[in-house]
Amino acid sequence: MGLNRNVDLLTGLRYKGQGPYLTFILHRIGGSALFIFFTLYILTLAGVEFAHALFSNALVQIVIVVLGIFHAINGLRITILDLFPKLIQHYRVAINIEWAVYILICGFAIFVVLRSAAGG
Amino acid sequence: MEVTVKIFRYNPEQDKRGHYETYKVEADENDRVLDVLELIKGHTDGSLAFRRSCAHGVCGSDAMRINGRNHLACKTLIRDVGANITIEPLLGLKVAKDLIVDMDPFFDNYKKMLPYMINDSPLPADGKERLQSPEQRARFDESTKCIMCAACTTSCPSFWASDEYYGPAAIIAAHRFIFDSRDEGASERLQVLSETDGVARCHTAFNCTNACPRDIHITQAIGEVKLAMVTGKLD
Ligand code: SF4
Ligand code: FES
Repeated sequence: MGLNRNVDLLTGLRYKGQGPYLTFILHRIGGSALFIFFTLYILTLAGVEFAHALFSNALVQIVIVVLGIFHAINGLRITILDLFPKLIQHYRVAINIEWAVYILICGFAIFVVLRSAAGG
Repeated sequence: MEVTVKIFRYNPEQDKRGHYETYKVEADENDRVLDVLELIKGHTDGSLAFRRSCAHGVCGSDAMRINGRNHLACKTLIRDVGANITIEPLLGLKVAKDLIVDMDPFFDNYKKMLPYMINDSPLPADGKERLQSPEQRARFDESTKCIMCAACTTSCPSFWASDEYYGPAAIIAAHRFIFDSRDEGASERLQVLSETDGVARCHTAFNCTNACPRDIHITQAIGEVKLAMVTGKLD
């Protein structure tokens, strides 16, 4: 009876959740970036040339830093709220603090990547 | 004002897939989306199908996606959603016709929570009520407000991925009894919720909390159930 229940990726992404849903989506993308990071890292250690070239590319490094750091900081926020459910009612404040911390750490990390790419 | 309403249509007897139809109606900005749907059904297209009953945010029948987000049509004013409105059925449940979804999986999950008082102890000496303090009552007050509209469960990405996940509404039903001092079935419910399809599937996207027309702090309630499961404490 009726149309299939399956929700495809695009329909899911188009759902108008708010800020927290955006962090949920970015968390998944960040997790995938970390997966790529570790794969490249292992391949680089194994001496695979293209992995080493990618790993040394400043742009790739920045993309992984931007997404990976988000995953880490967002994961920390989720863990804290999971451990102290009473704080969950302040989730919007928690997310704002998370963005502030993220921008600071990420900005610094990008600066470090760019400085080392420029030979500093 | 003129309102343009784009509505998802699907007739299982004629259509292989859904499509959209657009209607133009005259409405006041203080009208509700449900009023607009009634206008269309009453005056333009009597074949339009949607659920409604109380029309006052009490029965929970008319949850639907309005401009991409779950709402109760009877609690959503035109002035809050604008003159261009897209109305679609809830996600993650089969569409039976137009805006009507098959709620069976939703209620099946609800039943798994044992949503009734469990207490086999003898009645108090006076043979009357099992008393509780206002503080004990307040502990689960939030979760008594649920009207089973499914706006939360059908906004949850984990439920979209699998309707085996009990979903936020079912967990709210469990929460209502787990933290009730008169109930003795908490361990049974926590056992059910500790299964693969239980609370571990909540990844705190907060879509449920934002969709709830009763403003229940759903994600917090799920967090409390998670903690009770780990610590065994119900206070
Ligand atoms: S918790 Fe809120 S959104 Fe979910 S079913 Fe109950 S009333 Fe509806
Ligand atoms: S019709 Fe009853 S809640 Fe909207």
